[in-house]
Amino acid sequence: MEFNKELLLEKGQFVLKEAEKLGATQAEVTISMRNSALTRLANSIIDQNVAERHATVSTIIYIGKKKGSTSVEVLDKDSLKQAIEQAAKIAKISPENKDFKSLPGPQKYSTEISIEDFVSKNTLNATPEQRAEFATLAIDSAHAIDKRINAVAGAISHIAVENLIMNSLGVEAYEKGTGSNVNLTVLAEDGKEQTAGWSADNRKDFTELHIQEVAEKAARKAADGFGMKYLEPGEYEVILEPAAVGGLMFFMSYFGFSAMMYQDYISFLRDKIGDKLFSEKLNLWDDSFDKRLVYQALFDDEGYPKSKLEMITKGVVKNLAYDTLTADKDGVKSTGHNAKFRGRSMPFPGNLLISDGNSNLDEMIAETKNGILVTHFHYQNAVNPTKGIFTGLTRDGAWYVKNGEIQYPLRTLRYTDSVLKFLANIDLIGKYMDLNDTQAKVPPMKLPAFTISGSQKE
Amino acid sequence: MRDLTEKALETCSKEGASYADIRIVTIKDEDISIKRGNIQALNITNIKGFGIRTIANGGLGFAGSYLVTPEEIKRVAKLAVRIGKASGATRKKPIEFVDVKAVEDSYKTPFKKDPFSVPTEEKIEILVEVDKRLKEYNPDVIKMTQSDYRGHREEKIFASTEGAYITQQITFAGGGFSCTAISPGTQPQRRSFPGSFRGNFSAEGYEYFESLNLLENVEKTAKEAIALTEAKACPTEKTTLLIDGHQLMLQIHESCGHPTELDRVLGTEAAFAGTSFMTPDLLGKLQYGSEHVNMVADSTSLTGLGTYGYDDEGVKAKKVDLVREGLFVGYQSSRETAAIIGLEESSAGMRADNPQKLPLVRMVNINLEPGDWKRDEIIADTKKGILMSTNKSWSIDDKRLNFQFGTEIAWEIVNGEISNIIRSPTYTAITPEFWGSMDAHSKDDWKLLGTPNCGKGQPGQVMYVGHGCGTARFHNVRVGITKEATATDGVQ
Repeated sequence: MEFNKELLLEKGQFVLKEAEKLGATQAEVTISMRNSALTRLANSIIDQNVAERHATVSTIIYIGKKKGSTSVEVLDKDSLKQAIEQAAKIAKISPENKDFKSLPGPQKYSTEISIEDFVSKNTLNATPEQRAEFATLAIDSAHAIDKRINAVAGAISHIAVENLIMNSLGVEAYEKGTGSNVNLTVLAEDGKEQTAGWSADNRKDFTELHIQEVAEKAARKAADGFGMKYLEPGEYEVILEPAAVGGLMFFMSYFGFSAMMYQDYISFLRDKIGDKLFSEKLNLWDDSFDKRLVYQALFDDEGYPKSKLEMITKGVVKNLAYDTLTADKDGVKSTGHNAKFRGRSMPFPGNLLISDGNSNLDEMIAETKNGILVTHFHYQNAVNPTKGIFTGLTRDGAWYVKNGEIQYPLRTLRYTDSVLKFLANIDLIGKYMDLNDTQAKVPPMKLPAFTISGSQKE
Repeated sequence: MRDLTEKALETCSKEGASYADIRIVTIKDEDISIKRGNIQALNITNIKGFGIRTIANGGLGFAGSYLVTPEEIKRVAKLAVRIGKASGATRKKPIEFVDVKAVEDSYKTPFKKDPFSVPTEEKIEILVEVDKRLKEYNPDVIKMTQSDYRGHREEKIFASTEGAYITQQITFAGGGFSCTAISPGTQPQRRSFPGSFRGNFSAEGYEYFESLNLLENVEKTAKEAIALTEAKACPTEKTTLLIDGHQLMLQIHESCGHPTELDRVLGTEAAFAGTSFMTPDLLGKLQYGSEHVNMVADSTSLTGLGTYGYDDEGVKAKKVDLVREGLFVGYQSSRETAAIIGLEESSAGMRADNPQKLPLVRMVNINLEPGDWKRDEIIADTKKGILMSTNKSWSIDDKRLNFQFGTEIAWEIVNGEISNIIRSPTYTAITPEFWGSMDAHSKDDWKLLGTPNCGKGQPGQVMYVGHGCGTARFHNVRVGITKEATATDGVQ
């Protein structure tokens, strides 16, 4: 993919000029160019292998407080003109959004980081043949770990994006970036049972993906998974590996810290900002400038500058994530967390970090009297978001730990519990681990009480 | 367009592909949402693009682009063949497809009123009025309101090196509303109509949205939301469970729809959505449910969101048995997956949600065939139980065995009659045990419902699917998982 800022600026200016001609009092255009490729593995072969090229132009037109928007996958002027006319037409007939005050005005973006650092040339130049080589390395590395390994599944992917957001008040936000991912589930079988292990890595530079390490780690988990037993539902200590922590934080962030969820009476933090709800050991924040994260950004989906957002400090709930609409409603400033998806938008803090500690998985296991070790969770969902109750299932490796030692692997377990309960106390927080197996930067942690509500035996 | 498809296929053959197909697709979508009296979304989406699938060197390749020009089609065709060759290098044996009769045909889902010809103002007017009446029902308690409309159309061209050339137009429309009641000292309670996830949708025209009669259902829905704030919590126990259509559809979706997708069964989703307990060695042997359970994958049922003329491999729509009298008898499949397990033909289950995406085995209309009962007869025949309605939360394991659902509302059934409202209802079970306990399913309230929110695949795709069902009864089911009921609820 070749980046072309001038082309995007030309298209963006065209959209804003046309919008003005059609009577827009304010207008916003987002142009996103995206090239991605993904090689999918199943049964130790390349099963699917795809490349996509997208160009999306989203236009928002305000006539007073009336809003119309269109989203199109075209770049030619005639088609864009049609889309702008359509946005203006529906803005004219739209009811007023009484909460709307204004789009953001001109903004200054951080100079602490350079968008050139967001890009890896190796990722831009990645080829199908390189992905096939990585696929072969993953397959061979996993099978070399244990004879019982019978299938390597997963995906090896890379993406290059270029985004421009402009509005009629002077916002002009441009950034570009690359990313790559490997995630592997390795299956093993001994004729009696099938086990699974998982690992993943995310990097800006495709060639730096830790393919072999990920494959071997997932394969070892699968090989160590034989002799699975059921565990009775009840309350246990739990050791969460970083991917398990990252998964929980995603749901906690989405349902708890988005100002829209708060204003819609869905958040479990309603009327609890400033309260100490969690363990003093817990510090959670969002910071898209933190270089320890794989994916960084200068601005949100409406071109508002990103800023560091303290969410939980020493267990105390500090702030919600806002975009301009939700901020105006609460009479505060946007925190730069607007996220747009399929024509809708909401504030969402997605660049998460939790401060690490001094512990490690070995110490956590040694300190556990009656607990479980979890690789990651599957199919998590909110059961009752207003009470912070979530559910999910262990996947690709969970083990029973007793009196400081791993006893045996466990069949799939379901948890159903409230974050307000199980994060109220944290026994240990570990150091960050080497692989970026989740997009958040989070350490492993050990909790004293976690409710297992069922298993595959029910 | 035929020139473009022919050039694309020629390029693929010239580059060494043993098979190729191309889809050129345009998608138009109108999305309107009113929230708390304000416009939340009024968005028109127009997508145009193409995707080329090839078999080269025995491997599958796919590439797509938004730019439908001869030059870009040529570039993407070459790339798709190159990707296919790279894939082939890792395969133990070349990919094979079951045969399909290559046809030239066209198909259109029928409608009376074109959703894109009805003025947007008319749709907004209805949604605003619904929102207003919800709020006015009790402004002190109804704090959150939302009303939604969506119209969707896809125009598809499919052509293959086998000689197929198929054009299709698929249209669906629908909508709904929800409200949240908040009373001091109680938990917020949401009620939706006709179902959660922004309503219900049907492969019809605007006449379907009109037939939902949203305004006439405002009062009942708001009333139920308020009643829920004062209701007792779901008891924690094992009981007889009745589930109506707007929950049963998701139960079918998660515990029969996904586990019978043959690509998933064969390991394609092993690292993402998961695998399945319904493995090929159990085909024709596994007692999936009771003798009353008959499930089909039917892409021919009129008005379903899984209805079409041909799938995205050019296979003609059909009806396939998945479970017959409780016995697991069939899969949803593609030309490739059918060949792997020796089936004679594909179930016509391949679809992509976007021109630039690879078609996958996707649910069509996965229907629980109607039973002999009427809904009221099932209730009257139940001495003690709980009736749950309208999905609120869902989760199921990677083999589709252990599931847990929550619904917006439930009612106690006592001596054959509907009694008190219950809040925060949840239930959990293991798939074959659960369906094995089903002893009644109604016919009088059987409807083909639709949801446009089914996620699958890497890169992710969101597909629209249908589920036909009525009200069903299950026994000895664990309910009240969150244990919210207290002594003051009088149910423990």
